[in-house]
Amino acid sequence: MKVSKWSERLFGTPIFDPVVTTSFLFPLLYLIAFLIIPVLTMLAIAFVYNGHFSLYWFKNILTSDYYLSFRPTGEFYRLVTMPSGEQIYYVQGVDFGVILNSIIVSLSVMILTTILGTVFAFVMARYDFPGKNIVRILLFVPLLVTPFVNVFIVKKMFLPNGLINWLFYDILHVFPHRIVIDGLVGVIVAQTMTYYPIVYLNAYASFINIDPTLEEQAENLGSGSFHLFRTVTFPLALPGIAAGATLVGIFSLEDLAAPIVFQGNPLARKLMSFQIYSAFTSGFNVGSPQLAALAIIMLTIAILMFLGIRKYVSMRQYAMLSKGGRWKPRVAKPKGWQAALIYLVVLPMLLISIFPQIGVVLLAFSESWSGTWPEGFTTQHIMSIVTQPDIERVIMNSVMYSTAAIIVILLLSLTASYASSRFKKSQLGPVLDSLSTIPIAVPGIVIAMGYFFFFAKVFPDTPLDPTNLLGFNPAMVLVLAYSIRRLPFAARSISAGIQQVHVSLEEAALNLGAGRWKALTGILMPLILLNLLGGAMLSFVYCMSETSVGITLGSINPDYYPITARMVELMTSAVGSANLAAALGVFLMVVQIIAIVLANLITKQRYSFIGLT
Amino acid sequence: MVDVKLENIVKTFGETVALKGIDLHIKAGELFTLLGPSGCGKSTTLRIIAGLDFPDSGTIYFGDEEVTYLPSSKRGAVLVFQNYALWPHMTVFDNVAYGLKLRKLPKEEIKKKVEWALELVKLQGFEDRYPTQLSGGQQQRVAIARALVVEPKVLLLDEPLSNLDAKLRLEMRSEIRRIQRELGITVLYVTHDQEEAMAISDRIAVMNVGTVEQVGTPKEIYESPRTEFVASFMGKTNVIPAKVVERNGDRVSVEFEGIRLDGLYYTEKSDDVVVVIRPERIRLHPVENAVSFTGTVDLVEYYGFFIEVVGLFGETRIISRTISDRDVAGLRPTQPVTFYVERDDIIVLPKQQL
Ligand SMILES: Nc1ncnc2c1ncn2[C@@H]1O[C@H](COP(=O)(O)OP(=O)(O)O)[C@@H](O)[C@H]1O
Ligand SMILES: [Mg+2]
Repeated sequence: MKVSKWSERLFGTPIFDPVVTTSFLFPLLYLIAFLIIPVLTMLAIAFVYNGHFSLYWFKNILTSDYYLSFRPTGEFYRLVTMPSGEQIYYVQGVDFGVILNSIIVSLSVMILTTILGTVFAFVMARYDFPGKNIVRILLFVPLLVTPFVNVFIVKKMFLPNGLINWLFYDILHVFPHRIVIDGLVGVIVAQTMTYYPIVYLNAYASFINIDPTLEEQAENLGSGSFHLFRTVTFPLALPGIAAGATLVGIFSLEDLAAPIVFQGNPLARKLMSFQIYSAFTSGFNVGSPQLAALAIIMLTIAILMFLGIRKYVSMRQYAMLSKGGRWKPRVAKPKGWQAALIYLVVLPMLLISIFPQIGVVLLAFSESWSGTWPEGFTTQHIMSIVTQPDIERVIMNSVMYSTAAIIVILLLSLTASYASSRFKKSQLGPVLDSLSTIPIAVPGIVIAMGYFFFFAKVFPDTPLDPTNLLGFNPAMVLVLAYSIRRLPFAARSISAGIQQVHVSLEEAALNLGAGRWKALTGILMPLILLNLLGGAMLSFVYCMSETSVGITLGSINPDYYPITARMVELMTSAVGSANLAAALGVFLMVVQIIAIVLANLITKQRYSFIGLT
Repeated sequence: MVDVKLENIVKTFGETVALKGIDLHIKAGELFTLLGPSGCGKSTTLRIIAGLDFPDSGTIYFGDEEVTYLPSSKRGAVLVFQNYALWPHMTVFDNVAYGLKLRKLPKEEIKKKVEWALELVKLQGFEDRYPTQLSGGQQQRVAIARALVVEPKVLLLDEPLSNLDAKLRLEMRSEIRRIQRELGITVLYVTHDQEEAMAISDRIAVMNVGTVEQVGTPKEIYESPRTEFVASFMGKTNVIPAKVVERNGDRVSVEFEGIRLDGLYYTEKSDDVVVVIRPERIRLHPVENAVSFTGTVDLVEYYGFFIEVVGLFGETRIISRTISDRDVAGLRPTQPVTFYVERDDIIVLPKQQL
């Protein structure tokens, strides 16, 4: 037996072993082929002008007022007189150009979700009040993802006769005029309501994990309750909250649902994600180098946010040291004014924030909805799921794409986590680690665009070529995109499982004569079976609701639509039916509820989803 | 059953040098113990022999065969892990049968061998239990059976008693000794407990920060430590810094606290030495061919079956141990006391370089 120095360096074991080598190389090459190279293809287009390397396209973008303007145009809100003579506030935001608009929306959503998520989390983590268990269940509702339709309901809520105006103008007389939101403000409000649960989950976990003695000590030293929150509790929970907020910032940046639903207002279209998306829908100038340059700017912003939070969170890991502590969290009965705040402000806010999901169900079961409330109960839309062939087909398509993607995701996360947690001396390990988490920071629309270039270039005039239009079969492209985009989430669940299995269990098998393959399949895999199942269910749900790639590359050929491609069509085309889209939304919610219940029952671990689209 | 030879094994983990060039020769059929404080490299040595880690340099032989980089699965050096590493998803039977199934033995033979192994460790009737349904001692027996059933060339035991309570520890200690004698296999045993090592071993290697300080029978190690570290590690002992003041062939005179001891055996070059005297070799009454030194009583402590008298000689405390009440009758702190030690019981060693 010879030792191999480079096997030791690359794979962390001096004895060359096909199983170990495959565990490193399969995920590594997969990520290089289907994440790195497509993005590089985009670079190759964006940095070339007249056949030479050039920053021309970037200069073009950065010097154009359309993309970047430090002098805003438009009025943030105006008073509009309705045909009836009534005056309403029409709030839409101002225009700083595509790039700044995206950044401003993203930052606003981060701030608003942080406030909302932290308040809810603090109340749930620290107070015990009658009705808390119902609230706990209600808080799972906004996590349910119904692409486009929930934003559609948000928009409805803010119409002149919508729920918000009915409540605050007609009933409570809080508003001086009716308020209608649209444009960038509409996008901000819709995204805040969609994404605040992500901050909530992170903040809640952080509050729960704070060692109560730290707070007790401060109280003991005479700290009042708000002072205590400001000086001890919040700083300790901050890394977790910041991580959640950053995730929200990235999701906001790449979100397409809100801009698409609000696209009637031109301002909502002036966002980076929508600009790239609209190239896909409007006669395919997707190949434009200027758009590639815009995609790269978007990608850079997202990755900077991601790297920023990674640095920050690892620097302040101390707050997380408390993880795994088994103390009883500090829970108190709220004092009079605190109870008043909880019941009069926090709970109503919660009810409003879950209304979009309720609205989706109402919409799916109603004949029409033009006033404050829907009218006419019908099961016709829901029944379409099983009776209408085109709807059945998109569901079957999505199930097939997602199932195939799960298999790939499981293989990728298993090999990648096995490689990087069992062969720590490997120099490839950290590379693999970063590569398999970086998809979090790559906007879906950027992947869609990268794939567009990549497959058109590498497989021209084949079914894999998106420019082939009706000759294009997106199955493989979608499975690849799903597997890359969802990998980080499944990998986290599986690598947590692997870390709980002591390495000596595998070593004992090797030592008794088993090869790596036997030790992996006979010892490690049975022991992490539950994590694999949990990861699979998580991935399935996330794939079913995938939006960005599904509504771009997935919506080229109607025969192969995934669910989301059909939903966006139903929401935006003149003959479409929002009710039918809502029925599909209900279907997705049911899938999510079943998956979450099964995952929790079978694995006996606490799984929760974050609203991924 | 083979002998195991380690030649100049070096192993580093990043900055830490875990093994600084280890030479060992474990004879076929003996129970050989690696003894040393925590972190001295015992487990690392064991894992390198098992093929679970590989040395940076050096060679390992099983008999005449070089196995330095042979994968663990092909080596036949079977390790019983400190945490037992039983597979929680398999029954006791399946745990023990694992290695046999890998060797593709017929079902009948596997069954027979597993029965034999479980009988050997006195666990008949536990075949269908899962590891979590067993006590610590029983889990350990399963781990030992799982290793023995594949007839290892060498059995490696990493602190096998450290997770057991005191009573069970004694019982398992003699069990392991019994099984080793019965099967006549080569066993490499790791412990940090000197008493355990003395009781169980044919030979002991005392390790200290990545080096082997001394190899020998328990008696040799205890009675003739060759380094200050070995002397002080083998139970409570007096280690007194001193200076060589006169040499006469292989005999020297040393001095500490103004006390001069003549005619002690010492052949090393260094004049900075320590004088090692076991407490039980110090008498409180005159004996023949003994050196003596007088100081004051610092403390008299009763331990039940023995009594310790701590004498103060200048700044230096020296402990003596006796089982006789009469020896200590009338000894009170601050009163003068004279210690007597036979010359052969005094060991002079070079002072350890730090
Ligand atoms: N996998 C490892 N990575 C880094 N350092 C290690 C590793 N294994 C052992 N060491 C270090 O090597 C030295 C010897 O460890 P070990 O052999 O486990 O000691 P012992 O078993 O005698 O207590 C220690 O300093 C330990 O910290
Ligand atoms: Mg050890």
